Amino acid sequence: MQQKIDKIFKAIADPTRREILHALVMASVALPITDISAKFDISRQGVTKHIKVLADANLVKIKKKGREQMIYPNPKSLKTVSDWLKFYENFWDDKLKNLANYLDNK
Amino acid sequence: MKDIITREEVINHPVEKVWNAISRAEEISTWFIKADFKAEAGTKYQFTASEENGCINITGEVKEATPYTLIYTWIVEGTDVVTTVKWRLEKKGEGTKLYLEHSGIANYPEESAIKMFESFSGGWQGCVNQLQDYLKK
Repeated sequence: MQQKIDKIFKAIADPTRREILHALVMASVALPITDISAKFDISRQGVTKHIKVLADANLVKIKKKGREQMIYPNPKSLKTVSDWLKFYENFWDDKLKNLANYLDNK
Repeated sequence: MKDIITREEVINHPVEKVWNAISRAEEISTWFIKADFKAEAGTKYQFTASEENGCINITGEVKEATPYTLIYTWIVEGTDVVTTVKWRLEKKGEGTKLYLEHSGIANYPEESAIKMFESFSGGWQGCVNQLQDYLKK
């Protein structure tokens, strides 16, 4: 699980990938690689490389439709990141409360 | 939302007392997690989670332990993501100002991507409600 989170963060560390992902999520439909390539003025090869990293982190899904590769946004896995942060926020709040109680009763 | 968690609190106890609570194994084991811990730079430690904590152990290495700064790496057992926990205490009148930082979460260097998430209208942020289940995965 944590391994996957690591991949997600690495995938979005790159500004171009962030923009591609953002565009996909905003469009909330699948886009063909050709469109993404045109929109971002990057070579098809470059886009494919970025998409691969995003797909590896499960942030997008790739499906073939005829000759074209369609890229589907998969923002669900962003929830993983959110969960992780929220978990630790709660964790530390809890523990600091424990610490204060412990010291008060010592 | 950031990928670094910080907390700042003022505790109505002397700094020495708070320092002992965060740096001595027997005290850590009382309020935090059962600990095999030595506040000495370079030593490895282990926090053994009880079942209610989801049975996940934490391991790491103490990086700095000089009053009143305590820094150790934080690795969830079974993963290779290294994060860092930093405690810093300051005397404040009769009490203590406590500063806690959990950084390197997901080893991500910038905040900008996280800010992007906030602009998503998908409502994924509201979906967070099964944190306990999540930890058990």
